[in-house]
Amino acid sequence: MRNILLIARREYLEQIRGRAFRFSTVLVPLLIIAMLGASYFTGRNADRGKHLAIAAGSAALANNMRRQLLDDKDAKFTVDVVAPATAQDRAALQKQVQSKAIDGFLSIESSPSGALTATYASQSAGDFTTTDLLKNALNHALLNERLTARGMKQAETEDLLKEVSIETLQVNKEGKAAKSNGMASFQKAFGMAFLLTMPILLYGLDMARSVIEEKTSRIFEVMLAIARPDDLLAGKLLGVGAVGMTQIAIWVAAAALLTGSALAATLLTGDFALHFSWAEGLLFPVYFLLGFFLYSAFFSGLAATCETAQELQMYMPLAVVPVWLSFGIIPFLFSNPGSVWAVAASLFPPTAPFVMIPRMGFGTVPPWQFAASIGLLILSIWGVIWFSSRLYRVGILMYGKRATLPELLRWLRYS
Amino acid sequence: MPVVELAGVTKAYGDKVAVRDLSLSIEAGQMFGLLGPNGAGKTSSIRMMMGITVPDSGRIRLFEKTFERRSLERVGYLPEERGLYKKMTVVDQLVFFGQLHGLAAEEAHTRAIAWATRMEIADALHKKTEELSKGMQQKIQFIATLLHDPGLIVMDEPFSGLDPVNAVLVERTLLELKAQGKAILFSTHRMEQVEKLCDSICLIDNGQAVLAGNLRQIKSRYERNHVIVEFEGGSAFLNSGEIAEAKNFSGHAEIKLKSHGDAQKLLREAAAAATIFRFELVEPSLEEIFIQTVGGKADA
Repeated sequence: MRNILLIARREYLEQIRGRAFRFSTVLVPLLIIAMLGASYFTGRNADRGKHLAIAAGSAALANNMRRQLLDDKDAKFTVDVVAPATAQDRAALQKQVQSKAIDGFLSIESSPSGALTATYASQSAGDFTTTDLLKNALNHALLNERLTARGMKQAETEDLLKEVSIETLQVNKEGKAAKSNGMASFQKAFGMAFLLTMPILLYGLDMARSVIEEKTSRIFEVMLAIARPDDLLAGKLLGVGAVGMTQIAIWVAAAALLTGSALAATLLTGDFALHFSWAEGLLFPVYFLLGFFLYSAFFSGLAATCETAQELQMYMPLAVVPVWLSFGIIPFLFSNPGSVWAVAASLFPPTAPFVMIPRMGFGTVPPWQFAASIGLLILSIWGVIWFSSRLYRVGILMYGKRATLPELLRWLRYS
Repeated sequence: MPVVELAGVTKAYGDKVAVRDLSLSIEAGQMFGLLGPNGAGKTSSIRMMMGITVPDSGRIRLFEKTFERRSLERVGYLPEERGLYKKMTVVDQLVFFGQLHGLAAEEAHTRAIAWATRMEIADALHKKTEELSKGMQQKIQFIATLLHDPGLIVMDEPFSGLDPVNAVLVERTLLELKAQGKAILFSTHRMEQVEKLCDSICLIDNGQAVLAGNLRQIKSRYERNHVIVEFEGGSAFLNSGEIAEAKNFSGHAEIKLKSHGDAQKLLREAAAAATIFRFELVEPSLEEIFIQTVGGKADA
């Protein structure tokens, strides 16, 4: 145990004092904040200040639409109305779109049978948000027009067409209902899965790189005459794991300070309001450590069979398949967090850390599933460490050639 | 009482037998040379002594006890494949290795400074290893091997990478350690160093001991049919009918006589052709014994 702690301490101090640790501690959160900020502001500004035109046969319909679009304070549209519009007017508007004088125009035409067709022309084919806003405004205006035509007063139709928003509640096992925001839950789930994945993979790769570096520098021959290979592996895992925990602790502390600031208060409200339960706070570091030990032990065994970092890189896409699978499952968790697949993925050790934490945000997870998932992870870690330390104790002394599969099987037998 | 003892040790990797039925023992205060061509099984034997690999059969005893990992705290091992943590300072590195061998941090620090002074690298103590020359790194590794005052010192090619001045420093240190009663095993290709330093040797080939015992006794088994001549003048005497083989290094000749060659006759022929400063009838060198025993396969 003394040797494990000495090796862990050496590994921890070397990494903590390294330039890479300082850079990643500062740069990773800055990058995440920059990405979130960019996506938030881009999203908010996507429909802002657009200059649109509505070409319609009915001036009343077009003006009604215009009023609704201008009422959307977030969108800040400029809307021109051309009504009644001729074919020449529509051709002129298309030219204005082409020359970017306006961002787009909606052409509303009625057939001889009285059926209406609407066409939106712009330079951006994927502008779903604007198309949706226009569709809502058109249908709203049409309904308004038809109700008024049937003798209903303007005020009555407005009252009738007033929209109601739906508030979502999440009911837990005890029957308590708490307010929830679907989009915020989804963002939180992705964010937490991302926060788990990044350090687990980064530190796992760090372990693997460190094994290859030490193998290349021939330090293992000296170390193995002092410490057992299992102790070496365990010490490295503990040391690098502690570095990861330190980094996460710094990020959490910085985030806590930031969320207390006035800037964060404005950012983390409305759709962006995030709420973390004590269970999430407690289980996040547990799943981080378990995921880290599982992947790092596996990567270390793999690295011991490689001669260079380039060789290791060839195996990495295969090794991280469970991580990508987990991210693929998250959208399904959102609609049905208690499905068989969701339960299976949160119990299957390679995907458990990345699925269980987001799943907690979408619904109530029974305690036995936590216990089973943590128990299975611990068993798998034990198995992977056993397997990897056997590869490790032979692999780190093998220089000069890449190990073939039959050789790896022989290593497992002879070590 | 032997400090290390191998009895009938065998180790195979698949079909390849790396070490076959090897037995040897090293006493306290003895300097022991483990020799053999590349791939003979020297490193495999040493790795088993160090518990890095486990023998398939046979017995290894350290300090009169069946091998146990705790005994390794009393062993200093300098492997052929050297390695140090590049980003660590020399002093941190030495303290770390000392602690792994059971020393307290403060004690390891005190000893690191004392050894660094003794090996003339005190100025480098606070430098990172990657900033140092290969020879300096070799000396740091040498200190790391000895810092915990081991009773058994195992060194694989301890002189490689050292310039002549530092090689002498290491040689002198090893002799001092031997005088203190340490058991020292070293594996090397440099036969002149083995002849100078070792009391006993074990020559292994194809995983088997082919020659083992006290160096003096081994050499005395060979006929004194080698002559070293230092001379000035003509070298025609090197074509004498008494000579089986001769190497001439401008004024220094190493001669092997025929099986019944007459050394006195050769001396007369040499004296007639040149001025003789030295004419010495000697045993074969260890290098010659080595080459003769392993059938010319050696790369020493």
